[in-house]
Order: sequence, then C-alpha cells, then structure tokens
Amino acid sequence: MKKIEAIIKPFKLDDVKEALNEIGIQGMTITEVKGYGRQKGHKEIYRGAEYIVDFIPKLKIEIVVGEDRAREVMDKIREAANTGKIGDGKIFLLPVEEAVRVRTGETGADAI
Amino acid sequence: MTTTTTPGAIPATDAARRLKAGRSMLLAEGFAQPATEFIRAHAGLIDEYLRESYQESLTGPAIDFISNPYAMIALGGYGRQEQCLHSDVDLLFLFQKKVPDLAEGLIREMVYPLWDLGLEVGYATRSMGECLSLSRKDFEVLTSILDARFICGASLLFSELTQKLRRKILSRQSNRVVNWLVDRNLARHRQHGDSSYLLEPNLKEGQGGLRDYHTILWIGKIKYDFHNRRDLEFNGLFSYEEYLKFSQATEFIWNVRNHLHRLTGRKCDQVYLEHQIKLSADMGYTRQNGLRPVENFLGELHQNMERIKEQHLMFLHEFGPAKRILPGRRPPLKTRYAGLNADQRALAFESAEQIVAEPILLMRIFEESARLKIPLGSEAKRLVKEFSHLVNDDFRSDPKVVKSFERILSVPAPVFNALNAMLQTGFLACFIPEFAAIVNRIQYNEYHIYPVGRHALRTVQIIKQLGLAKADDPEFDPLYRDLYKSLPSRKRLLWAGLLHDIGKGIPGDDHCTAGAALADTILTRMGLAAKDIKIIRAMVAQHLDLIKTATRRDLSDEETAIVCARRVGTLERLQVLYLLTVADSRATGPKAWNEWNASILRELFIKVHNILKTGELTHPKALQKVRQKKETLLAAYAGSPREAMAGELIQAMSPRYMMATTVDQMQGHIALFERMGEGAYAWEIENGIHTNTRTVTICAKDRPGLFAKLAGVFTLNGVNILDAQVFTWRNRIALDIFHVEPPPDPVFEKERWQRAQQHLSAALAGELDLKSAVTAKRAGNGNRPRRAPGAPDDPLSEVRIDNTSSSFFTILEVISDDYPGLLFDVTTSIYEMNLDIWVAKITTSVDQVMDVFYIRDLHDQKIIDSGQTAAIKETLLEILPPG
Repeated sequence: MKKIEAIIKPFKLDDVKEALNEIGIQGMTITEVKGYGRQKGHKEIYRGAEYIVDFIPKLKIEIVVGEDRAREVMDKIREAANTGKIGDGKIFLLPVEEAVRVRTGETGADAI
Repeated sequence: MTTTTTPGAIPATDAARRLKAGRSMLLAEGFAQPATEFIRAHAGLIDEYLRESYQESLTGPAIDFISNPYAMIALGGYGRQEQCLHSDVDLLFLFQKKVPDLAEGLIREMVYPLWDLGLEVGYATRSMGECLSLSRKDFEVLTSILDARFICGASLLFSELTQKLRRKILSRQSNRVVNWLVDRNLARHRQHGDSSYLLEPNLKEGQGGLRDYHTILWIGKIKYDFHNRRDLEFNGLFSYEEYLKFSQATEFIWNVRNHLHRLTGRKCDQVYLEHQIKLSADMGYTRQNGLRPVENFLGELHQNMERIKEQHLMFLHEFGPAKRILPGRRPPLKTRYAGLNADQRALAFESAEQIVAEPILLMRIFEESARLKIPLGSEAKRLVKEFSHLVNDDFRSDPKVVKSFERILSVPAPVFNALNAMLQTGFLACFIPEFAAIVNRIQYNEYHIYPVGRHALRTVQIIKQLGLAKADDPEFDPLYRDLYKSLPSRKRLLWAGLLHDIGKGIPGDDHCTAGAALADTILTRMGLAAKDIKIIRAMVAQHLDLIKTATRRDLSDEETAIVCARRVGTLERLQVLYLLTVADSRATGPKAWNEWNASILRELFIKVHNILKTGELTHPKALQKVRQKKETLLAAYAGSPREAMAGELIQAMSPRYMMATTVDQMQGHIALFERMGEGAYAWEIENGIHTNTRTVTICAKDRPGLFAKLAGVFTLNGVNILDAQVFTWRNRIALDIFHVEPPPDPVFEKERWQRAQQHLSAALAGELDLKSAVTAKRAGNGNRPRRAPGAPDDPLSEVRIDNTSSSFFTILEVISDDYPGLLFDVTTSIYEMNLDIWVAKITTSVDQVMDVFYIRDLHDQKIIDSGQTAAIKETLLEILPPG
C-alpha cells in the first residue's frame, strides 16, 4: 500500500476530486495548509500598508491506495492540478505499513 | 435494548432481582410514558430496592441502631426523584454519632448489587457532625443535601439534618451560597458554551441545560425554603404560564436524555453529532416543512433549552444574588421616553394601557434597553409578548418605529444584546415577519453551529465588534477596524448583516437571490432610501461571492480580480462586502473562519481593491462598452462554422485588449489568428491613418523576448516605430500592434516587408542573431541619437518602477530621447534580465519616447526585491542616452 501526499493550489480541489472520481478513487483527506517553495511569499499593498504573505495558503490531499494504482493516481493528480504557473505544488509517494478500518477491524487491502 | 448487567452475573438478592425486573419492564415500555413519570418511577424502583435490601440485610441488625441511629438518604437527582436511565444514584448513609466499622459491611451488602446491575452509585458515609461541618465549608456538599430525601432508617435523623442545615448554615450564609452558585454558573457556561445553540448541546452543563434548572431550584430552596419545584409557581416566582412552559421544557430534555442514555448504553449528556440522527428517529421525528427529521429534532431541542436559559437568566436577575452594594448610590437611570421606567436592574412599562395608546413603546423599550445596557424585566417581556398583536402594517412602516429599530441595530453590544431579547420575545419576528421562517431553522452540518436567526443577530454583533476591537483583543485586526471606521454609512452594512440569510427560510437552493428579493420587500416597507435599498440588496445577493472567488479561483490571475471587481462595482461596496463576509464567516462557527481563510480572503480583497481604485479596467462606461463589443462580436460569428473557434478566442481575450480595440479590429485579429494556424506568427500590414504611416499587426505565440525580436527586425529594416501596443491574451497569444513609418524605400516597399518577414521568421527560429545584426547596422550608419534642434545637450532619461498600482504586474516606465533601435535595446535588455513583457504601450511625441511595460519575472511574479529593481534601473539607464 502507498500513501500519496499532494500539495495543490486551493482552487484546484474540485478538478482534482473529479479527476480522481473518474478513475474510481472515492476517498481522500484534505487539510488546509500554508507553505512556500520557489514561489516565495509576496507583498500586498493596501493604502500604503504592506501585508506580507510569507506562507501561501495551499491544500494538502492524502490518499492511500494499493501499490498497483499509485502511479496512476499521481499522474491524474498532477494533470488535474497543473496550471503551468509557479506554485502548482508537489506530489510525494510514501510507503504504508498497515491500514485498519475502524468500523470492522479489517486490515490491509480491505481497509483502503 | 442495552444490557446493564455483566454477562452471566445473576443478581445476588431477591431485592436486586426485583429491581432488575422492574427496570426491564420500565424500559420495555420504551419511554411511551411522559419522561417525568419515568424518572419518578425509576427512582421509586430504587427506593423499593433499598428498603427491601435493608430489611433483608444481615449486617443491618448487627449495627446498634438504638445508640447510634442511622438513615439512608437520597441525594442529588435521585433525591429529587429525577432518575434518568443511566444517571448516578447518590446516597448518603447518615449516622447520628461516629460512623461504626460495621457500616462498611452494610453498605457493601446494599450497594454492590447495584453496581452489578450496572448502575453507577456514589455514596457517602457521615456522621451528623461531619455532614454539617462539611456543608459549611463545601457548598457542593451543601447543595446536594438541599435535594435530600429520606428513604429508610431513622426518619428523625433526616429531619434533624435538614433543620440544622437551615438554622445553622442557610439562615446565616444564604447570600454567600447563592453568590457561589451564580459564579459557578458563569464558569460552567463559559466552559460549555451556550448550548441553546451549539450544534452538540450538553443537556446538563450547557446554558439552557438541566443544571440551570437545578440552580433555580436550589436558590428557591435556599432563599425561600421551597421544598419542591412546584413551589416556584405557588410562591409567585413563576407565573402559571411560565411554570407550564418551563415544565414542558424540562420534560422534553429528560426525554432526550433518556433516549440518549439508552442509545449510548451509559450516562451521557452531550448530544454528539453521530447520535443525532438516530435520536431523531427514535423520538419519532419526520420530515416536515422541508426540514429533515434531525433538523426538526434539533430545532425543538434548541427551543426548549432556550426557554430554560431565558427563565434561568430572568430568575437570577430578579431573585438571585444580593445586589452588591456599591460605594455611594448610583443615580436612578432615566429613560428618554414617557411610559418607560428603569430601575438599576431592568426596564418596565409604566402601564399596559400606555402600550395600547402608544404601540411604539414596544420598540422603544428595546431601544432603551440597548442604550442603557440593561435588560427588560420579566413583566415587561410578558407585556411585549401579550401586546405583539398590535404590530400591524402601519406599525411596520411607521418611520419613527423604523428609526428606533435602526438605532437598536447600530448600538454596539459587546456583551448584552437587545436584539437577542427582541428575538426571544418573538417581537422581532412580528416586526419583520420574514424573519419568522429563519428563527429556529437549523443547518445540519459541522459547518454551521448556530440556527439561522441567531446567526443573523450574531453577524450584526460581530460587525460592530470589528469596528470596536481594541489592540489587546485577540480578534483585533487594524484592517477591519479601519475599514469599518471609514465607511460612509454603517447602517447599510448592519442591515445587510441582519438580512443576509433571510432567504434561507424559503425552500430552494439559492438563498442569496431569494434573500435579496425579500430584503427589497422588507426595506421598501420600512421606507428606506432607494439608494440604500439598492446597495443592501446587492450585498445580500452577493454575500457569498468573495469567499467563493477566493477559494475557487486562481488569485494570481488578474482576470479573477477583474471579474470580481466588475461584479462588485464600487470601492464602497467592496468594503462593505468584505466586512460582511468576515462577520458572516465568524458568526457561522469555528470551521468557517480561521487564519487560512482570513489570509486568502484578504488577498482577494486587496487585489480587487487595487483594481477598483485605479479604475482603469472597471469604469462603468468602459465595462458597458466591452460588454457590447463582446455581444456584437459573438453575433458576427453566430451560425458560421467558425463560431466555436471564435467563441473560445473571445473568452481568452484579455480585458485591456477588449477595452482598447474596436469590434472591426477584433474581427481582423481573429482572422489573423486563424491565418497563423500552427505557425509561429502571422502579420498584417495596412496603411495607417496618415499616408506616411503603416499599421503592422502581429499575432504570435507568446514567448519571452518576442517583443524584443519584433523591435529588432523593424530596426534592422529601417522601420521607425512611432507607437506600439502589446497585448497578451489568456491563451498566451501575443497581439502586437505597431504604428510605424514605412521602410525608407517607398518604391520597393513590398519587397522590404517581405525581407522583414524573412528576418522575423529566421529570428524566431533562432537562426538570426538580431543583436549582432543590429549592432552591425548601427556601426554602418554611424548612429547616435538624433536630437531636435534646440534640445538640451545632455537630456536625462528616466526609468521608473511602480510596484503599487497593480497587484499583478510590476510597471516599468522608460522615458528617453528617441533613436533608431531604442525600443530594441530596451526590450532586449528586459529580456536579458529574464523579465517577461505582458502589456506594453509605446508612444513617441516629437523625439521623446514614453514606454510603459507591464512585466513579470519568469516565475510569473512581480519583481519586488529592491536589489533587483535597482539593478533593472541601472541596466536600463546605462543603455539609454546619454551614454
């Protein structure tokens, strides 16, 4: 089993969700996060006052899938979240040792 | 049905067996009987058990009853005979003298079987002396004994306890105890939130919960020596109707509590989200009024808890703690209006007849309440409810009444809120009938914590708080405060806050539009100025726009801000909408508002603000023209095979381009785009306005350095650029329009243009090094900037960088004397500094050139680093004349 962690631009959530639904992925966890990479923060100027945004709001998506689907899911996320402009985000792949479904106690592939 | 025994255990004694059977029978009836009867019967079963097991007890007789009599006493809820399904059983084993060792054996005999049955039993073993001394010190113990009830044993002992308690402790310290109760209440409420509207109400500890009822009872018992709750009515503290409603409310809550206990199989007071749907099904709720069963259930629960809360607050206010005596007497409060009285504590009507004579007093009393910051007395509230029928259409549109209401709306109410009182008494729903539909409408999800009506009032309150927050307040933000203070009319914002969700009472999906129409009706009825109504309407209709745009659109795209700016329309509307959005989100619940949302919303606000401020792209006349152009343009292709292509292209055209170009020109450009097809570019050369100028229009796939290459090709071919406009469409197509002087050879002009075209194709393909070519040509010409006669000998060139006017681009202005190839030099330099030109406007007048470039770096960001901007200036100044 693998876990996919993707950081994307907030307004791309619907696109990613739809794209994943199309390939039959039905569950995901979303967190509101902030961060920066090479897209550094920026300054907003309002009436002469500067509002420095060091950390840019993003969304983090976490999905756990079987190893055989990991690549497919990563590609789909990338496709859907891409705008071509800086700050599009990153996708990470991590190994998962075990998974358990709370309601039934099922483990492994039955749990995801 | 849940089991309450450990599996396999058999109740040890007959009494225990009978209790188990009794409870099963009670439970089998499934709460069909009224809750008050259930809890009483349940307490009765336990009483019977205790009496029987005492009679059957082996240890009991061994304890010397004559010299040290003892009694078994029920405390707490059990003492009040309010024993819910899984509530604790609180017992006191009271001995006249010191507690004997054998007592433990007795207790074990009697209490352990109860534990085996799954009941939670708490017990205390005390002597009379211990009891009294503890009660003196620990008011928790004291209040539990207030509810004491004799079960079995020496009844005289019980009487002695209660009498001594009253004579020795209560009579001397009643005020202290009451004050302690009130303080504890406050702490409890603060901890558990106002349950009458939280989404997971705590039936016992929250405001409007059972503890509020207990507190009323205890105060009654302490101050007025009540024996049971009926005394509240008998002694006139509650009116008949108040007591009735109050009883119904407690009845309802006990019922919910019993169901909850059964559902969870244990003592549970918080109505967690995951239980709510099952509870509403168990209690027989159905779909009604377009609301789901769970929403109906929660609505009724909130209503009942609200009733208890209200009664509790009023009770405390009128019969509660002794007024703390202030140094010096406070001067009596005066009301502004005849017919209303105020003492230190509450407002009252002078007489009921005056209300009939002057119905406006019904509104005025709330106005005074807000102004003086004191509540209405319970009598006044009764009268308001009684005389609400006087509110008719005339009343609703009476300008004096409306003015009075507006005053209530605008008075800051950081703690005490007169609007809440208006809502509770039902007066608000009378005055604004459209409000009735949203008063207790619940939105069932984790997002919304407050029922809609309450949410509207909270929004209004928060709006006022935004403007008043002090620097040490955690909610303080100078941006909100400054915006609020700078608003020309706060009234509009407050009305919008009150009415923004009024459309939620109407079934249907779009409460924003529905709400706007309702707001219009309401405000017209009240006689507000047309201008105000228009703006408030727009606010209601658009109150979700900002947050939707901020979370669902690409904020780094200028178009997003432009579209939003156009919809909002003016700076003032934007400010009001922004404050409304902030207050609305905060008033919804913690999930709707956090720092993440705040920062993303603020970014949108500032961007839209700056666009509206410069006004260049959003001037209403300009907007109208653009709209018309779009329509005309689309119409021109309707029905033709090119319709789809044209439609897509028109969507991609940038706002600046659309403002600056005519429809005919646009059609020409669309044709040019088609001609380009898969190629790198296409261009069109036409005669310009004057015979000696040409217009060269180029449509090309945008890339960094494109503009520089174009300028270079012109220079190479001796074409003097007079004017240029560069647009970049959203599909990264560059549309450049040059006004030029034609090549020096008029006879062979066509051939010259063809050669220029070859140069351009070669340059774009990377086969022609324009820089060297241009340098070579220059050397051949012995160039240098030509100067008009009489011009100063060392003219100053200027380079300005503006990072404030636009949120999306750095604006670079270059002013200098003209010379052939100037544009090429400047744009090449820009390209070599890794900057991208999105929009450009080049103008020459006589021999002075003014170039404006809207640039971004290759990461599509503005260039804000001061080191970088200094470097840009320096580099450009070096290549500009003189030098």
